Amino acid sequence: MGRYILRRLVQGVITVWFIATATFFAMHNVPGDPLQSDKAVSAEIRANLEARYGLDKPLMEQYFIYLANMAQGDFGISFTQQNREVNDIIAEHFRISAALGILAIAFAALGGILWGALTALYRNRLPDIVIMLLVILGISVPGFVFAGLGQLGVVNLNAALGFTLFPVGGWGTVSHMIVPALVLGLGTMAFLTRLMRSSMLEIANADFLRTARAKGLPANRIFRKHQLRNAILPVVTVLGPSIAAITTGGFVVELVFAIPGLGRYFVQAVQQSDYTVIMGTTVFYGAFLVFMVIVVDIIYGFVDPRVRLE
Amino acid sequence: MALLEVSDLHVEFDTYGGTVHAVRGVDFRLDEGQTLAIVGESGCGKSVTVQSFTGLIPMPPGRIVRGGATLRGHDILGGGRIDGKEVRGREIGMIFQDPMTSLNPTMTIGDQIAEPLQVHAGMKRRTAHARAVELLEMTRIPEPAKRAEQYPFEFSGGMLQRAMIAMALSCEPSVLIADEPTTALDVTIQAQILDLMVDLQRENGMAIALITHDLGVVARMADEVLVMYAGQVVERGSVDDVFYRSAHPYTLGLKAAMPTNQSEGEQDLQPIDGSPPDLFAPPEGCGYAARCPFAMEACQGQPPPVYGIRAAAADAYDHESRCWLHHEDCDIAAEGVHKGE
Repeated sequence: MGRYILRRLVQGVITVWFIATATFFAMHNVPGDPLQSDKAVSAEIRANLEARYGLDKPLMEQYFIYLANMAQGDFGISFTQQNREVNDIIAEHFRISAALGILAIAFAALGGILWGALTALYRNRLPDIVIMLLVILGISVPGFVFAGLGQLGVVNLNAALGFTLFPVGGWGTVSHMIVPALVLGLGTMAFLTRLMRSSMLEIANADFLRTARAKGLPANRIFRKHQLRNAILPVVTVLGPSIAAITTGGFVVELVFAIPGLGRYFVQAVQQSDYTVIMGTTVFYGAFLVFMVIVVDIIYGFVDPRVRLE
Repeated sequence: MALLEVSDLHVEFDTYGGTVHAVRGVDFRLDEGQTLAIVGESGCGKSVTVQSFTGLIPMPPGRIVRGGATLRGHDILGGGRIDGKEVRGREIGMIFQDPMTSLNPTMTIGDQIAEPLQVHAGMKRRTAHARAVELLEMTRIPEPAKRAEQYPFEFSGGMLQRAMIAMALSCEPSVLIADEPTTALDVTIQAQILDLMVDLQRENGMAIALITHDLGVVARMADEVLVMYAGQVVERGSVDDVFYRSAHPYTLGLKAAMPTNQSEGEQDLQPIDGSPPDLFAPPEGCGYAARCPFAMEACQGQPPPVYGIRAAAADAYDHESRCWLHHEDCDIAAEGVHKGE
């Protein structure tokens, strides 16, 4: 088990190094650089600035300097936001994105398992048909549409209640989080519902469920201990990629709900060619996802006894 | 009173292609300590018969049209209850064809065996678990305490079937229904499992209903035999009657199609030509008529009644055959068909 985790972590570091390298060279190949601005800059000033930031050095040398700094946990200083360290940006804003993402994942997983189990129980009857229709909407309609609809709903709800139950945007309290997290988790919830439904139906015909009935067990025990427990396994498997989808997809929802998460910096940095912030956020997101996938794999080892972590 | 009695059982399945008449009037009785074998080819309704009265077929699409099932005189049709207590697992234990898929892959063997004890006998988890280890030992699984902590994927097929038997017998049922228990196992393991069942039966006196298509298993295990064809019982009798005084042409066909290990004579296997009738629309007459070498005109149009075959010693008719050949006016000399003394 310890050896397994160690090996996975080493593999993870290699993956992150690869992400960093690919991003670094892709970034430098994009036309433009962070020193470009609307104002006319004389060649002399520009040369001074380049020397100041080390951009005059050969690309490979920049790369190795960058790797050496990154290995020490130093992502450098933002080009466009004066004197702000990339580490500070991540520390301050990722907390917010993470809180939103975790809540969204929780909604998605719980909702997916619940709705999936429900549709399987009511197969081809009204609840199943209605929920599966909503699932198709949830999968095919993009997140920003739901974000707008969510805000509209919140406005109407608050107007009907006469007080502000959920704020329309911003960040700070739990009530700020709920609606954006629901919106963010919706697509994944829909996907997990479908997965859970098909998994439940597949297991409904399994021989071991017939054995459970032949043992004369009560229906709810059969459902909990034999059907649900086994049907959840595929859902756990896709949780890793789902976390990826939700954390990287958070940007749009954060923008609509005016949430100061990391996603905004992630996108802005690319537009402004803010080299250090691009590298910092990309490598950080990459490392985070690699880590979450490892965590999910370890959890899977506990959920399914057939998986041995060696 | 018979321990288990099934009478006039009719089961149908609704499918897109129409209604399948899977079981068309099956009766049998099972007495304490007795072994009844139900024989027949795939699709003849053997499994549906036992799984329908125990409530294991999905309904819908399955449907018990009519019939009854009683255990010690109590109605249990569809897996019912006696005095508010569940019959399945307590009074009737069941094991199935494929032990590899018949156990829950995410639960330890010990927990699965302990489950009926917790539910039916109200045992605490710890006591039930201790009992599960004893049961594993009883089914001759080495290192039962260690094995109880393992999961099904760590067991071999034969071991899993032993675990299934331990589970089925955990609440000391009076009836064990074994639905092709050895079909998925290789031959040496088959013999071990059958021996185990015989030994356990000797110890606790349970009755066994054994479903199989293997006549070798029947000869080894059964007291009484039920031969089924196209959803009906075509012949019934003691194992000697059915094997040595076969009274139905289908039974003869099955025997001729059975491989033997006798080299003298070099007998070829004789398969039964044709295939079973379409149970979407069962034939009006005898279901076997289209494949029967002795078929007469009457066989096509009218369903044959059940005839008692008179035994040599007594007047008893405990041997029955559903075939027109036994009609008193029938003078066809059907070679091999036993017509009574």
